[in-house]
Amino acid sequence: MEIRPILSAMWRNRTGSVLVAVQIALTLAIVVNCMFMAKSRIEFIARPSGMDIENIITAQSLGFGSDYRHDETIDADLRALRALPGVIAVTPASGIPMSGSGSATGYKTSMDEDAPRETANYYRFDEHAEQALGVKIIEGRGFTELEVRRADDENYDRMPPQVIITKAYAERLFGDEPALGQLIYDGLNESAEVVGIIEHQYGAWVHWSSFDNVMWFPQRQEGPSIRYIIRAEPGQRDALIPVVEQTMQELNSSSRLVRNVRTMEETVATSYEGDFAIASTLIVAIILLFVITGLGIVGLASFTVRQRTKQIGTRRAIGARKRDIIRYFLTENWLMTTIGIVIGTVLTISLNYALATAFEIERLNYVYLVIGMGMLWLLGFVAVAEPARRASNVSPAVATRTV
Amino acid sequence: MLEMNDISRVYRTDLVETHALRGLSLSVEAGEFVAVTGPSGSGKTTFLNIAGLLETATSGSYMLDGKDVSKLSDNERSRIRNEKIGFIFQSFNLIPDLNIFDNVDVPLRYRGFNGNERRERIERALEQVGLASRMRHLPSQLSGGQQQRAAIARALAGDPAFLLADEPTGNLDSLMARQVMDLLEQINQNGTTIVMVTHDPELARRAHRNVQLLDGKIATSNPFTPQADVADIAEPAMQPVA
Repeated sequence: MEIRPILSAMWRNRTGSVLVAVQIALTLAIVVNCMFMAKSRIEFIARPSGMDIENIITAQSLGFGSDYRHDETIDADLRALRALPGVIAVTPASGIPMSGSGSATGYKTSMDEDAPRETANYYRFDEHAEQALGVKIIEGRGFTELEVRRADDENYDRMPPQVIITKAYAERLFGDEPALGQLIYDGLNESAEVVGIIEHQYGAWVHWSSFDNVMWFPQRQEGPSIRYIIRAEPGQRDALIPVVEQTMQELNSSSRLVRNVRTMEETVATSYEGDFAIASTLIVAIILLFVITGLGIVGLASFTVRQRTKQIGTRRAIGARKRDIIRYFLTENWLMTTIGIVIGTVLTISLNYALATAFEIERLNYVYLVIGMGMLWLLGFVAVAEPARRASNVSPAVATRTV
Repeated sequence: MLEMNDISRVYRTDLVETHALRGLSLSVEAGEFVAVTGPSGSGKTTFLNIAGLLETATSGSYMLDGKDVSKLSDNERSRIRNEKIGFIFQSFNLIPDLNIFDNVDVPLRYRGFNGNERRERIERALEQVGLASRMRHLPSQLSGGQQQRAAIARALAGDPAFLLADEPTGNLDSLMARQVMDLLEQINQNGTTIVMVTHDPELARRAHRNVQLLDGKIATSNPFTPQADVADIAEPAMQPVA
């Protein structure tokens, strides 16, 4: 390998090579950090929710006027919706998980006023919640029909005697102790027994650090607004959306509005809109940087091929085969790319350190640095391939031309 | 050493075809110093390119060092150029970014010699042309004559069967031209065959034989004969394609 003479020649014509090496270095530093951040966002968006989001439809009923009867409307809606072909289960709901809207309050494990409180995002569901959300109760049981308080129940404002909580919330409340059968207390020291533990479910706010602190109460949401979570059989969801809306409209359109009949996927996507936009922007930036750097390499290689036509012809005349010329340009480009990558590695780590310190983001996983290096080497190879092929086609007879 | 029989070279474009060589036959013996002369457009450069395997003839046969080289692949031609032919160009064609040592090294690397052998050959060749002390200089740091001597060292380092020189003094003043010609004569006296293309009758006189081209054919081939006055000789015929 003629590395020393190539390095020597590069050093004597260093302006272009240095600029492209710096471009490669910056590209590596930016691309690797962008890749890592994009991957973090994508993983964040793709976290398993614990629910059968793909098959869930949500709808809202908003009553108005003196003729509106909240519980009767809910009863009629539930009967009709549960009877629709393709529907697995329906629960009335105080809110839609992962929608960005919900209620939360702190609960404790003793009546002690000073006992620490752990905040939970709570929902009011009926006995069909487990089926309607598609979650798994791993300990205890779901609610029974008799436990579910109607909105007109005289004890509605009091804490229901039973709750179901997520495993994550149970661990935060009780640590290693079994949570099933334990009592939890609200701020008024009213208590409820934990009758069921959900394996996993996310709550309302996707950016909340205790996103999986979720609690269910066996209650209907008081009026005049109620939401429904409707779980469809696989493949039936989209066809059911207009049917759900029409069914609810036909039941009562004089004293309530039916709105926001849509897939839960849409709701979740809206919550992750910002994260998705960040990930998309980062990916576009990565692609653009690769394209720009690739064009830079192509430009420099094409320029040097044109500039060195006579030199290439001379090399061919004194014995270089076509593959020797290709190898020369590939080696030269590999050296330039490698110098850029070495500088870029230092920049990448420094940039990540600065970002991690300033914004408290995760430290770089070096696998991404290795991937970035590999991609830039590949990019350099691909970008220089065509100029190198053109160089190899320079006729050796060019050597005898005087102009 | 070199035997061309009925060599023709036609360049074709959409509109015209140009007959650069027309049935040229030439034989050069080992140890000869042959000057090929002729006016501009007589076919000298085409002859040089074909003799040096830089391009192929349209028809005819070419034996080099006892081997038919007229139908070789591109790779085989590269190998023969590297092993059997030493090129000396009018513009020296040194690589400006490499020092003299590395310039002489270029064909030896293509030949696949190891580092020690390359070093020995380079030093010997530079010694021979009187540039041993300048091996770390860049071409731009040398005079024209020194650059041409460096190019001659590059041509000699691989021990070629013959040297092909293309107007080797064309870019030199008379003093340097004389020094380069002295060096070529000395190389020839040491047994290396030289074929030199030139338009300079004075230089041609220093060869053993003068082959004069005209319109792509050999007009005369005389030992020790100065070139004729070629000022009025026409360019090669340009014929429209039928």
